[in-house]
Amino acid sequence: MSWHVQSELLERYARGDADGAQAFSVEAHLPSCPQCRGQIAALVDGAVLQGAWEGIEERLDAPRRGPVETALMRAGVSEHVARLLGATPALRLSWLLACALVLAFAAWAASRHDGGVYWFLVLAPLLPLAGVAVAYGPDVDPTYEVGLAAPMRSFGLLLIRALAVLVTTTAMAAIAALALDGLHWSAAAWLAPSLGLTLASLALATRMSALAACASLGALWMLAAGVGWHLAREPLVLFGAAGQVTCALVAAIAAFVLARNADSIERRGGMA
Amino acid sequence: MRALSADHDDVEVLAAVADGDRPALRVLYDRHAPWLALRLARRCADPGLVEETIQDTFVAIWRGAGRYKGQGDVGAWIWGIAIRRLIDALRRQPRRQILVAEVDDRPSAEEEILLGVEYGDLGGALQRLSPQLRAVVQATVLDGLTSREAGRLLGIPAGTVKTRMMRARAQLREELA
Repeated sequence: MSWHVQSELLERYARGDADGAQAFSVEAHLPSCPQCRGQIAALVDGAVLQGAWEGIEERLDAPRRGPVETALMRAGVSEHVARLLGATPALRLSWLLACALVLAFAAWAASRHDGGVYWFLVLAPLLPLAGVAVAYGPDVDPTYEVGLAAPMRSFGLLLIRALAVLVTTTAMAAIAALALDGLHWSAAAWLAPSLGLTLASLALATRMSALAACASLGALWMLAAGVGWHLAREPLVLFGAAGQVTCALVAAIAAFVLARNADSIERRGGMA
Repeated sequence: MRALSADHDDVEVLAAVADGDRPALRVLYDRHAPWLALRLARRCADPGLVEETIQDTFVAIWRGAGRYKGQGDVGAWIWGIAIRRLIDALRRQPRRQILVAEVDDRPSAEEEILLGVEYGDLGGALQRLSPQLRAVVQATVLDGLTSREAGRLLGIPAGTVKTRMMRARAQLREELA
């Protein structure tokens, strides 16, 4: 390129003193002229540019936010909580999709068979239980090591994640329940068992691994469902008044145990 | 990864960036960030927003270097990213700090200029455009923005951009005739 901006004009432009037409020609020329760009680079405050560069490196090194994290931050959740929740294995898209599929299948089955609603009711409380089982722990959580060093208490992290899992799966189960034929009280009968099982699993998790706690409680729940049906010859016996009260009672006891053992979870650095 | 030096032109450096070469991004930054900073500062009075825009631009280049198709100067391509990032950043900010703000729109100032026209040089003619008209010429002709983008940058409706551009064109044509 043969034509170049005069040094004097470049200096005035860098100071912000070039008038409109002169600035026009400088700006039209710079994108295509390495020589003038090099000349003007010497006139810009290097410290400001270095600071901006460090910001760029920081952003390139930071992990990119997932959809859950972004949505949470939009909703006003603070950044560190959003990241901890976003890293919850049971809040991954694949997990949520699997839950939705299972529920859709259960709802479909319930609408096709007379006893179908029973299977829906047995299945719905198991989903949050399974979610809590993989919510936090060395085997399933990619941020487990980070979490140990985080300024947040392990128990707090466990609770906030369990709550998030409970809320999402319950919301999905509620939607599925609404899709059931003929809205009936029984469509909500899984709520108390769901709460009871989840809280009981958290309480048990102070003594054993979350995975083992959830697996044994899940097995117990299925056994109770089978035995109840067999003995009473009435599929919904487990979800009657007595069953609901039992579940609420279990939930209350579990909450009590959980509150008393919060410190033991704390000392063990999570549910190992 | 090859070592980059002053011998490599922007297209080669950009190709290295597309391959995930972080030092190449730094080379590109050292070459282009200074003039970008100056040019952006002429369009946005807030230094913090200018810095944020530069960061957004180079993060976008890092992730989208492969989108440069070899047409036109790399510098012009970078500017196209930067000016749109600035518009995005301005949109995120409720309180706008624009250098050429929407001032009073009395036609008298322009009429005065039109009355004093005696010359035929483009530089002078541009100079005699009212600040509002010149800002529109700058955004659409120099920065290559659409009427809508220019409107967002200047904080005025797209229709106003179009009418001002028509007025600026008429004025320039008359002065240079």
